Amino acid sequence: MNVTTTEVKARSSLTNRFLLSLRRNLQTYTLIIAVVVIWVIFYFLTGGSYLDPQNISNLFRQMSVTSFLSIGMVLVIVTGGIDLSVGKLAGFVSVVCAYLQYFIWFKYFPDQPLLAAALSVICGLLVGTIAGAVQGYFIAFQGLPAFIVTLGGMWLFNGLILWRTAGKTIAAHQAYFSAIAQGYIPPIWGLAIFVVILVLLVWNVFGTRRGKAKYGFSLRPLYLDLLNTGIPAVLVLAYILSVNAYKGIPAPVLLLAVVAMVMIYVSNNTRFGRYAYAIGGNREAARLSGINITSVLFRVFILMGFLCGVAGIVLASYVGYGTIAAGQGYELDAIAACILGGTSPLGGVGTIPGALIGALIIGSLSTGLQMMNVVPAWQYVVKAIILVAAVLLDVYFKKNRG
Amino acid sequence: MDNEIILDFEHITKRFPGVVALDDVSFQIRRGEIHGICGENGAGKSTLVKILSGVYPYGTYEGSVTYNGAELNLGQSSIREAAEQGIAIVYQELTLVSTRTVGENVYLGKEPVEHGAINWNKLYADTQAILQKYQLDVNPQDIVSNLGVGKMQMVEIAKALSENAKVLILDEPTSALSKAEVGKLMDILRGLKEHGITCIYISHRLEEFFGITDKVTVMRDGKIITTQPIENVTQNDLVKYMVGREMKERFPQGQRHPGEVIFEVKDLEAVDPNNSSRKVLDGVSFNVRRGEILGIAGLMGSGRTELVLTLFGEYGKVTGGQIRIDGQVVEPKSARQAIDSGLSLVPEDRKKMGLVLIQSILRNISLPNLDQFSEFFRIDANAEMQASLQQAKSLTIKTSSLDVQALTLSGGNQQKVVISKWLLSKPKVLIMDDPTRGIDVGAKFEIYKLMNDLAEKGEAIIMISSDLEEVLGMSDRVMVMCRGHSTITLPVAEASQERVMSLATGVAVA
Repeated sequence: MNVTTTEVKARSSLTNRFLLSLRRNLQTYTLIIAVVVIWVIFYFLTGGSYLDPQNISNLFRQMSVTSFLSIGMVLVIVTGGIDLSVGKLAGFVSVVCAYLQYFIWFKYFPDQPLLAAALSVICGLLVGTIAGAVQGYFIAFQGLPAFIVTLGGMWLFNGLILWRTAGKTIAAHQAYFSAIAQGYIPPIWGLAIFVVILVLLVWNVFGTRRGKAKYGFSLRPLYLDLLNTGIPAVLVLAYILSVNAYKGIPAPVLLLAVVAMVMIYVSNNTRFGRYAYAIGGNREAARLSGINITSVLFRVFILMGFLCGVAGIVLASYVGYGTIAAGQGYELDAIAACILGGTSPLGGVGTIPGALIGALIIGSLSTGLQMMNVVPAWQYVVKAIILVAAVLLDVYFKKNRG
Repeated sequence: MDNEIILDFEHITKRFPGVVALDDVSFQIRRGEIHGICGENGAGKSTLVKILSGVYPYGTYEGSVTYNGAELNLGQSSIREAAEQGIAIVYQELTLVSTRTVGENVYLGKEPVEHGAINWNKLYADTQAILQKYQLDVNPQDIVSNLGVGKMQMVEIAKALSENAKVLILDEPTSALSKAEVGKLMDILRGLKEHGITCIYISHRLEEFFGITDKVTVMRDGKIITTQPIENVTQNDLVKYMVGREMKERFPQGQRHPGEVIFEVKDLEAVDPNNSSRKVLDGVSFNVRRGEILGIAGLMGSGRTELVLTLFGEYGKVTGGQIRIDGQVVEPKSARQAIDSGLSLVPEDRKKMGLVLIQSILRNISLPNLDQFSEFFRIDANAEMQASLQQAKSLTIKTSSLDVQALTLSGGNQQKVVISKWLLSKPKVLIMDDPTRGIDVGAKFEIYKLMNDLAEKGEAIIMISSDLEEVLGMSDRVMVMCRGHSTITLPVAEASQERVMSLATGVAVA
């Protein structure tokens, strides 16, 4: 019997590895290029005002609400599910926050605005999390289809919004609460944050290298590692300098960045995250590998609910009131952002950075079209074409790659 | 051409990459006879059926098939074409749309249409006519899911016959039927014969051939061994024909020193979780010692796979008996519990059950073992890589990197990834369900060597296999399963292929 064996290597050679990562990240790069193309087009169409510091600042702040939802939605879709309730749940949370601000807190804590704002935040997060847990219970433990359960949730939260607002707009512009989404980080603090990020990135590079060395894995040249972290660092710096030219980093964007970092970590470096991807990739294999599918699905929906809570709070703070239309259609924006960002509707594949870039594309389009005073009817038509064309291209490339 | 011959196979050879599924097959089937075909799993029976049904169209095989006096010339995606020419097939798995009526199923894809709409009256009347003609006792308006398996089989037959079939092929039609239902099926077949329909009857249950078939053909390794009038042979003759080959030097021999019993199953009984009246395991007893390979032989449908999934806590509902690991009684209710108590399962279908194909080799190997690399909630990626890499190296998985997607690997390498993943969980007992299914000869040998090494190092291995030669070549002892129960455990020296096959087909009882 002629049995040949070749040595297995931890990582293939440097060039191969570079090409591999290039190919694997092709989709991400394509998306970034798409963002750049959209920006350049609008830059010329709007005579340059599209890339004003003020507009950049607004663009990112506006996309933050749906971005929180997209982050959770990635994990939901990765496990093979869907959540149609997120827009209305976030809307309901925003109404709850506004309601508490306007009708309740002043009765009990008349002179404590900070406490009132903090309580609003806590209540908002609780409402979101509990709603996620209830839906997760039906999906994970009772085995009901996520599509149906969350469609029910969407109707339920819509009903609750109508009931609580009684058709009226509830103001929520108390100073501390408004600061959550309307505030800015002072420019000098923005630079300080950049320095902290830079230190953390460099520390991470060396920490990773030390860990690998300890296990005896080959290290790639230091300059490559530094280059790898250098590019995002430069992008972050460019962003901070740009918004500093206006008023500084918008507070919700900073919050989004923190939540995104935590969730990226969770999805890659914890058992929970890994199991979510395995379940979506092959449920049967995951089950036979001893993964408790019920528990993972339940936690995914709790997390989604929590993020709806965050999105709802930011929404209430940003618009300054709770309305009957709060969160209308956000679920579809969130789903579209995920799909644009490379999340497979079949499950098992999808990244949070991808979804965030997807959200940025949608946000960039909306802002640009609004600035050009395109009527809403045609805004929808353009978005429809971009969404379907992007996925069509993706399918085309995937087919021709294999 | 003799008009008495309805099907004439001449020098049929069908090759797959690395395997010859049919090797110069020539035989004839006479008009109006019931012709039995038997052989081990993988003998080539199903390939033969697929040539007749058009799954493998004309030109994808060598040789020629003469059907009804003309050469069978089925084009690509010609499954309909075969049916239109009168070749009807009833598959082992039922292919009915269970939520629709009997009539709708019988005429599925060929509904009588009038002015663009389905003529329901005609559909049900025609169905009724077919059912009556062949004395099938089913109501055309019944919903299929309300019928028993036996009646579903009748609907399958009616569906197959609805286009003036001349030849009806039944591929293991009785594997899901009760004894009474089998009797009823036999009556139906006799009725079909009176109507001049030729039947090809494929089965593992040898006793069924007697009393129903006119002739029986035995296949082995893609070849026709013999075709005999049924009155000229006994069941024991058939068994001999099915297995009669010499052992080749295909299996590595090692120095195994079996130690104490580590795993013991006693009188295990379990029912189908979806249908608690169906017993899937009915008295299974065996034990495994450290450093030995226990082979479990049995034909498809004998309960082998149900057994291992039940042991793993993921299939049958245990209704009796006991499982002991290292003397401790365990009752695994989930895969996690089974893994924690020291079991590992290399499942039957590595693509459906063993791997997350879209993920990397690394992620596949570490999946059930992440607890080992996690402190609090963080996974130590370096520890994960190191352990997985070590495992992959010791099994010589051929790949440029562990970051490669599992779906790009060959079958043999994929199986090594599955084995790596389970060895990393340091099992006390490694269960391997058909570990060499669908992989080429060279890779098979590597898997055998690997199993041998593991056993030499003291690992207890349970190997389930369809390949009798493999079971006898690799095992220290052999347990034979037949219809949900374990018949006997034999030292391999006492287990001849004939004896095992007799036990597995129920010809002999221990």
